[in-house]
Amino acid sequence: MSIKKITFRILRYKPGLIDPPQFQNFSIEVKPDMTILDGLEKIRLEQDTTLMYRHSCHHSSCGTCACKINGTESLACTTKIKDLKSISITLAPLDGFRPIGDLVVDISPLFTNISEDWSYLKNSENVKSSQMPEGIKEFKRFENCIECGACVSACPVTHKNKGFLGPAALAALSNELKKSPPKAEDLLSMAGNKNGERLCERALNCSRVCPTGVYPARHISDLHRVLKQK
Amino acid sequence: MEHIIIIGGGGTGAAIAHDLVLRGFEVSLFERGELLSGTTGRHHGLLHSGARYAVHDPAAARECISENKILRRIAPQAIEQNDGLFVALDEADLDYKPLFLENCRACGIPARELTAEQALALEPELNPSLKAAVQVPDATMDAWRLPLHFYATARANGARIHNFSEIIGFSQAEGAVTGIRVLDHQSHREYDVRGDLFVNAAGAWAGKICDLAGIQLPIQPGPGVMVAVNDRLTNMVINRLHKAGEGDIIVPQRKLTILGTSIWLADDPDAVELPKDHGPRLIELGAKLVPAVKKAEIHSMWCAVRPLIAQAEAKDPQEISRDFDCCDHKQRDNLEGLISVIGGKATTLRLMAEKIADLICRKTGRNIACKTKTKKLLHYRMFY
Ligand SMILES: Cc1cc2nc3c(=O)[nH]c(=O)nc-3n(C[C@H](O)[C@H](O)[C@H](O)COP(=O)(O)OP(=O)(O)OC[C@H]3O[C@@H](n4cnc5c(N)ncnc54)[C@H](O)[C@@H]3O)c2cc1C
Ligand code: SF4
Ligand code: FES
Repeated sequence: MSIKKITFRILRYKPGLIDPPQFQNFSIEVKPDMTILDGLEKIRLEQDTTLMYRHSCHHSSCGTCACKINGTESLACTTKIKDLKSISITLAPLDGFRPIGDLVVDISPLFTNISEDWSYLKNSENVKSSQMPEGIKEFKRFENCIECGACVSACPVTHKNKGFLGPAALAALSNELKKSPPKAEDLLSMAGNKNGERLCERALNCSRVCPTGVYPARHISDLHRVLKQK
Repeated sequence: MEHIIIIGGGGTGAAIAHDLVLRGFEVSLFERGELLSGTTGRHHGLLHSGARYAVHDPAAARECISENKILRRIAPQAIEQNDGLFVALDEADLDYKPLFLENCRACGIPARELTAEQALALEPELNPSLKAAVQVPDATMDAWRLPLHFYATARANGARIHNFSEIIGFSQAEGAVTGIRVLDHQSHREYDVRGDLFVNAAGAWAGKICDLAGIQLPIQPGPGVMVAVNDRLTNMVINRLHKAGEGDIIVPQRKLTILGTSIWLADDPDAVELPKDHGPRLIELGAKLVPAVKKAEIHSMWCAVRPLIAQAEAKDPQEISRDFDCCDHKQRDNLEGLISVIGGKATTLRLMAEKIADLICRKTGRNIACKTKTKKLLHYRMFY
């Protein structure tokens, strides 16, 4: 198994200690299939136990590990080191969220405009079953959006206009609209208000960086169309 | 009321914090990294019906079915409630079926027999040469969002939850633990927190916590590998209908299919490396149940560490009980004030917490009933 030496250039930040933030280099030996998250774990365990980053599922379900990898918002857990094809990898926290420490940001503003009344479940569409099991009306699955914040960090509008609902919330709103027609009036008035869909500049960064194929920009266009027809 | 300190922010810690604040205790929880960054966030996400344990561990099976029903009610947004199938692929599996059905029924697990044709109508990607199947109420949980429901509720009820706060020592006086020393990873500050009782809920790291207190706990880290492949190949959870073993669980989730799992014994829960051959073996075994697994693109591969109860003599790790135990170190090591939770499953997190909180009530001379069975949890988004 070939082992390579890689440098992780990590933007360190500890309020009052490493403040303003500054880059620190860590050199580690990596195996071919290691992910950025595996690399961070290795650095924490072998070099600095106080290195701060978020992680939980290690397979792109929880959404906690999003950060900027070589300048682009990505998930640390599913980005393979070898796919980056460089021996130096730069890691920085997401933009637009309050920094807490190293790669950790306060993600809570992402949830300000995603209501807990909006269902996290949807009908499952992939498997072509010709019958349903007893006791089950419809197969359900979790929504694609893992609430990672990558799209918000990549969106130019969220940085200029703090009020903007943002791509994740607008995508979630658009999904809820499809699932709950009776809520249409409230949802559309939210999407159509001064902080809503109209602020989108069609940069499409959100759809480019979304790790789970939510395509927020498409949802925003859908909302735009529905609102125009009204 | 007494101040209870919980060490470890996994699912077990989450449920203990929730139970204790509901009973009126003052609660502080400390987790060295992000919440749920230990074993909990990384498991398959199988909300067990108990069927997997019905034959060899009926006590665990009964706990699973009862907790399965409770969690569906109190955290419905964190569960894909699509049931599961146990699939018989050969004559040996068919021979196992009567015993399996009998034990499921004895444990109160609804089990419905299906012919091969019926099973294929529900799940067309199953191996077409399957012999029979049994439908049970397995489900998929979101391994992060389900326990986050507990954290959201516990915090709203007054629990103080500290992430990036590592326990690095204990203070003791007259044979009792009186406080913990915490290293705050954000400020690098070390500080002491006093408490009345301390719960070691550090999962596979519980042995290391006991080391800090100068006592020994027989925890053996038992890692396992999981592989996620792209595409959701089934809607229901798929298990092989045989004695629980390696590579016989398939848990669909979102747009993914998760294959599990293997097991080996490790010494240090932090120094676990993914063995090279486990991934391919899981794919091989998974493809027996759902052949399309073989053609699917590998999405990710990772491991998680079980906190197993160490056995005196060497044993097949598959045989070590997945049941849990709460250990009062006053009884075990004559050290007052420290309780450890050992073993368990994410499915039974609420029940483990109930037992720990009952023990805490006994130790503090309080008689307060558990309220977590029926209390609907706050949505995980309320955590933020
Ligand atoms: C491969 C595998 C698959 C599994 N699949 C399933 C499944 O499908 N369904 C199911 O129900 N169960 C499953 N389980 C079991 C389940 O995941 C675990 O039983 C459960 O998650 C354990 O939770 P916990 O809170 O006890 O431990 P953990 O989640 O590990 O929590 C302990 C926490 O303590 C923290 N900690 C450690 N040291 C310190 C310190 N010094 N200071 C502060 N904090 C510290 C750790 O960081 C960690 O977050 C699986 C387990 C494995 C290994
Ligand atoms: S839409 Fe995509 S990028 Fe945005 S929060 Fe959801 S998963 Fe992340
Ligand atoms: S660790 Fe869960 S999305 Fe990366």
